Amino acid sequence: MKIVTANRLSDGRVIYAGVDNQPVDSIEQASVLDDTAAEIVLAEVAGRPDVFVNPYLFEVSDRTPSGRDRLKERIRSAGPTVGNSLLWEKA
Amino acid sequence: MYRYDEFDHALVRERVEEFSDQVARRASGALTEDEFKPLRLMNGVYLQLHAYMLRVAVPYGTMSSRQMRKLGHIARTYDKGYGHFTTRTNIQYNWPALTDLPAILRDLAEVEMHAIQTSGNCIRNTTTDVFAGAADDEIEDPRPWCEIIRQWSTIHPEFSFLPRKFKIAVVGAEKDRAAIRTHDVGLQIVRAADGGTAFRVFVGGGQGRLPHIAQEIAAAVPAADLLAYLTAILRAWNLLGRRDNIHKARIKILVASIGIDAFREEVDRHYATLRREDLKIPADELVRIQAYFAPPPFEDLPKASAPFDRALLADPDFARFARNNVRRHRQAGYASVVISLKPIGGVPGDITADQMDVAADLAERYSFDEIRAAYEQNLVLPHVKLDDVPALWRALHEAGLATANADLVTDVIACPGLDYCSLANARSIPVAQALSTRLADLDYQEKLGPVRINMSGCINACGHHHVGHIGVLGVDRKGEEYYQITVGGSPDEQAALGDIVGKSLPSEEVAPAIQRTLDRYLEIRTDGERFIDTVRRVGPDPFRDAIYETLDAANA
Repeated sequence: MKIVTANRLSDGRVIYAGVDNQPVDSIEQASVLDDTAAEIVLAEVAGRPDVFVNPYLFEVSDRTPSGRDRLKERIRSAGPTVGNSLLWEKA
Repeated sequence: MYRYDEFDHALVRERVEEFSDQVARRASGALTEDEFKPLRLMNGVYLQLHAYMLRVAVPYGTMSSRQMRKLGHIARTYDKGYGHFTTRTNIQYNWPALTDLPAILRDLAEVEMHAIQTSGNCIRNTTTDVFAGAADDEIEDPRPWCEIIRQWSTIHPEFSFLPRKFKIAVVGAEKDRAAIRTHDVGLQIVRAADGGTAFRVFVGGGQGRLPHIAQEIAAAVPAADLLAYLTAILRAWNLLGRRDNIHKARIKILVASIGIDAFREEVDRHYATLRREDLKIPADELVRIQAYFAPPPFEDLPKASAPFDRALLADPDFARFARNNVRRHRQAGYASVVISLKPIGGVPGDITADQMDVAADLAERYSFDEIRAAYEQNLVLPHVKLDDVPALWRALHEAGLATANADLVTDVIACPGLDYCSLANARSIPVAQALSTRLADLDYQEKLGPVRINMSGCINACGHHHVGHIGVLGVDRKGEEYYQITVGGSPDEQAALGDIVGKSLPSEEVAPAIQRTLDRYLEIRTDGERFIDTVRRVGPDPFRDAIYETLDAANA
């Protein structure tokens, strides 16, 4: 299964295509799609460059990134694994 | 310090207005990402994993307190309260919104800063010795020459569409504290036969996928002809360099492929014409620029300082800081102080907005309002009275900025890696943190002496792993992070690329393997021999054995 992701134009944050192809911040809210549906959603969001920058697909298994880029997608979904940003988020 | 003249102000102001308009058109959807990308890259804006990233130039690493405070203000107002100093002595913000970029650039322009030419295929920020104007072994302060190069290279029409990026570093001493031989062009100030200033020129260095140590192309270019000679080098490369393959477009590939002698002939052919043209640096203009970098009003002080010596005896922690982070100064009674941005277990090069404010205040109070960014991702207060070092140290300590590990094994240089960077294959920061935590004992670190460890999260080598005494390169093996270790690299006047010791290691094995390497060094070193000298004497084999001994035992 696949999820459509991109960066949001206004602030560059990671977004996913959710219900009705609306941008959502959390991978938990992303639509999990079969190959055919994923290609259709990808084409749809590619037509909305005012929100979705550089959209692409990645593979998931039970909503967890599972393809070759699984580590990168895990980090994109959860934020940096280290450092000041985590301290800041907790503060 | 250099102050903008009317041309500098106008240029930066116009660029802010131009880019603000481009951002507005992008935000409205009038520009596509493909159209916008080259425009944002000309202004230091990347789109990384989690957000846009803005890279701000710190020309030759020199800042005033006012500038540092503004950098803190930007971190606090538009980002998540911190910034990251890079190996190009720039500062990066990891979280700015696209729509905030015009405001950030306006704030920067207020303090004579910008992000022009911090990315893209142009001449990047010129770097230099972080102790310029302070070191006691300097022939001449290299910063006026860096400033001349900055003015010449900024939006230079001939060099705005180069085959690839181009990096220049300048040193004013025999000792190379700016890694000039890893640059496209490295310049070393020397005395010419007539006693005048001249430049020994190295060309074709670089790291990345195909690393090369720069080769000497000229022994002594007269100072007045520096821009003619640099123009000749860039013109030769611009005409002959490859543009068909991004990995083969850097000048290092051209120099390596045609050979240094053939490349020198090309350069000399251009130089013969160029040096007769109006590129000669006028003597009065040089004097005008040098005046900005005149030594601050030092007091006439004795060499020794009673408060400093008393603090050495009274406080072993201060004594350790003095041993490791305080450097000799050309002026009696003064020192340069390294502010380590490598707290144990921290993120190399990161600094919070509050710490930036503290550093700015301390520079104002103790260092003639001047603060430097080092390519090792640390800060330096260049001109501190020895009498003031104990009070400075206490203030740094309170702000979490007094880690006494400059040039020691936990002073790790590391790129942001896969935690932030869209090019990375593997994370660098957690591996650096694990190493720092494992080797935290400062007695052990001091016993080891100077050891430079460099980590990069991909082959682009932003963490300079090729020239680390120990280098760590993150690689992707079927979706898992692995790390290749090199030993014997060196960035200085004895520049060398490290040797790859063997197969790559999983992340949790890196810190233990490096500690075994260091322990092996302690066993086999001769009296007073530094780590890198032991590697040069015995070669990589004993260290390879140390790195793989437990792995081999586990596999046996």
